[in-house]
Amino acid sequence: MKTQRNPVTRVFSLFLVPLATSLTFAPSAQAATVRGVVKMPDASRSTRLYQGYWRLENGNVPVQTSGGVKVETVVVLENVKGAHAPSARTVTIELGSLDARPRLVITGPGSVVELKNTGKVRHELSTPETPDVMPLESLAPGGTRHARFDKIGGFVIRDAEYPHIMISVIIVGTTYFSPVDDKGGFSIPNVPDSSATLKVWTRGKWVAEQQIETGSLGKEELTIKVVSQRDREKAEQEAKAAE
Amino acid sequence: MFLSKIWFMLIALAAAVAGTFALIAPRPFERKLEAAEGQRLDRAQYAAEQMFKVDAHKWIDHVGKLGRDAIIAESLDAASRGSGEERVIHRTIQDRFRTLIPDLASGGIDTIVAIDTKGRVIARVGENEKEYGDNIGGAEIIGDALRGWLSDDVWGVGGELQRLAAAPVLSKNRDRIVGAVYVGAETGPALVERLKKNLDVDIALLLRGKVIASSRAPGEMDALPELITHHAKEIETAKRTLPIKMTVGKEDLIVVAAPFPGQAGEQQAYYALIGEHPANSGITALFANATSDDLKWGNFHWLPLITVVFGAIIIGLFLQRLEVDAPIGRLRRELQRLASGDIPKIQDRDYGGKVGGLARDINAAVEHYTHAPTQRSDIAGKDLNAILGPSGGSTFDLPEAGSAFAGGTPPPAFAPPPPPSFSAPPPPSSFAAPPLPSFSPPPAPSFAEPQPFNAAALGFGPSGGSASASSPSGSNDISLPGATKPSAWGQSLPSQNGETSGVDNEATRVVPYDAEEEEEAHFRNIFDDFIAKKRDCGESTVGLTRDKFLQKLRENKASLVAKHNCRTVRFSVYVKDGKAALKATPIRE
Repeated sequence: MKTQRNPVTRVFSLFLVPLATSLTFAPSAQAATVRGVVKMPDASRSTRLYQGYWRLENGNVPVQTSGGVKVETVVVLENVKGAHAPSARTVTIELGSLDARPRLVITGPGSVVELKNTGKVRHELSTPETPDVMPLESLAPGGTRHARFDKIGGFVIRDAEYPHIMISVIIVGTTYFSPVDDKGGFSIPNVPDSSATLKVWTRGKWVAEQQIETGSLGKEELTIKVVSQRDREKAEQEAKAAE
Repeated sequence: MFLSKIWFMLIALAAAVAGTFALIAPRPFERKLEAAEGQRLDRAQYAAEQMFKVDAHKWIDHVGKLGRDAIIAESLDAASRGSGEERVIHRTIQDRFRTLIPDLASGGIDTIVAIDTKGRVIARVGENEKEYGDNIGGAEIIGDALRGWLSDDVWGVGGELQRLAAAPVLSKNRDRIVGAVYVGAETGPALVERLKKNLDVDIALLLRGKVIASSRAPGEMDALPELITHHAKEIETAKRTLPIKMTVGKEDLIVVAAPFPGQAGEQQAYYALIGEHPANSGITALFANATSDDLKWGNFHWLPLITVVFGAIIIGLFLQRLEVDAPIGRLRRELQRLASGDIPKIQDRDYGGKVGGLARDINAAVEHYTHAPTQRSDIAGKDLNAILGPSGGSTFDLPEAGSAFAGGTPPPAFAPPPPPSFSAPPPPSSFAAPPLPSFSPPPAPSFAEPQPFNAAALGFGPSGGSASASSPSGSNDISLPGATKPSAWGQSLPSQNGETSGVDNEATRVVPYDAEEEEEAHFRNIFDDFIAKKRDCGESTVGLTRDKFLQKLRENKASLVAKHNCRTVRFSVYVKDGKAALKATPIRE
């Protein structure tokens, strides 16, 4: 038999249900900051992409360890619930002083990369791993070249004459990404609570990938350890040997 | 033949084994030589790597010294701060470079460049030394130098390799970086030449799939880039290749390749050390690589070889003699004895193999001919001994002077032909007319008077058949060859040799008397006497026919006449050693 409640109770019940509902679902709707540190292997801590036989300190003035290829590392959160791709745009990259500026471009699908040769030398640019995107062509001093990137993924524009000129073009389907500072730190704010795939891009390739639950991170800092290719191969060989 | 065949097989087998061994024996040594050459290239590659490393350090030291030069430091400090005339600074640094390093080429330097803190080129010497002001700060080695690092790198620009070393230029107080200096070292034919001289191997330098310098002839290394590309993965992981084979024309080479460090490594910049592959072990290479010294007594085991070869030959010849020559010789001797009638047949059981087969075939042939139906064939081919009687003993002796037929030889072994199987036809009462012979009647004999003849010599005697019984004269005379004797039925009887023979009658006798006839008569008399003597001596006269006897006398007479140049020869019969013999006497007048 149904019990009759008084009006006060009824009014209270009307407020209690939304309150309980809001309390139940509140965490999933909250935005969090995903932060952490990317620990690169020793060989990747250099400011150089290619090493010679020797690299010696001068002994008088402390050497600088920032800049160079280290600034080309980025952390991207993929598959975040509700994430949308950045809008397509045209990014201009200047080639001069035997360098490319910027060396890292993160943008949405359909974006166009404009390459301007402002230097005095000829560049032979291409995306060797995806030649259909950007076949090998020579770019004379003063010349400009455009390349459109429609697919999501990481692309590398390389210069056959000057291999150290390596431009990373990352086409993402999310706005949750962050470059890594000199110490490997990164911070991606306003990430909704969700499961996500964290990927690390550095030196022209994805070097790390892991699944995270952004809602359960809180103030915890992620530590992303990037294993060098040699160590990875060694580990794989050891695993095979163990089997 | 069995042993000979086995021997030849063994010799062939031994030759095959020896040939195989001769071809295979060098293989292990070839592999060892190849491995040794590979190891030599390995060591050469390690040495080359160390040379590059030492070179790089040497260049770093050089450029470090340049960076510590006060004039260069002050000039670059001024340029970096933007104070002073840029052209003057440019000239000042250039002059200083030329003062410090007067001869770039002798030091293997292509260029020396001074850069301010912004990465701008302030001065150059060597390549493009009139150009300055351009910014190369983006180059990693320059950026590193401006960060305070002394380092080296290898560039592959414009189809050429260049080894670089850069160092920061510190201020006068050595408390800050005011610029950088780098040197570019030549990396081409001169380096190749130097490496070849030091490492004693051929060198090739490759950049972006092309050979840019090589100590070998142009065109020989065309296949090298592709070969190394196939080992790119190996190079990436091991920083070098294992010794790999490469064929250039007819020459086999061994190559060890390793990458250059620095950014040129990304541009497929390799140095390859090339060694010659040891000689192939093929038969052509085997002879091509042998020298006359290899065949000298001291270097080659001639004595064992000769011993083995001659031993093999001697054994082969012995077996050949044992199984081929000796049996054939024995067979030949037996054949001669068979032909001379000494033996009735060949002892084919004594022979084995094909010789035995041959002996059996000969026996079969002899058997075939000795059992032929005609008497002519029975006596065909028999020599005088056979003619003189199956029981033997009588010989026809014709000495040089006073020739005589001498006896004494053993009786012929050849079986006498069987007595003529011809027999007189049965009496007419019980006899159906025999088939007529198919031959034509022979011509009438040219002589008239038949000589007495012992019919038993041909089997017509009392023991030989009934021919004598059928003779109308009742004597044992028979007609000479060619005479026709009518049978009792008015027909000539065929002789066993196919000729018509028969008993003489008066009508058929022709009596021309001349020397020839006289001689024939003499011969017949001799034949008669010879038969009689043989019977007297107890010798058999089976198979002795008058025709052959007379023919033999004629031939001997002719030869004696020719030999002694006499008119004729008279024969006489006598007994020698208990056997009938003939004696010939030349008559000169």
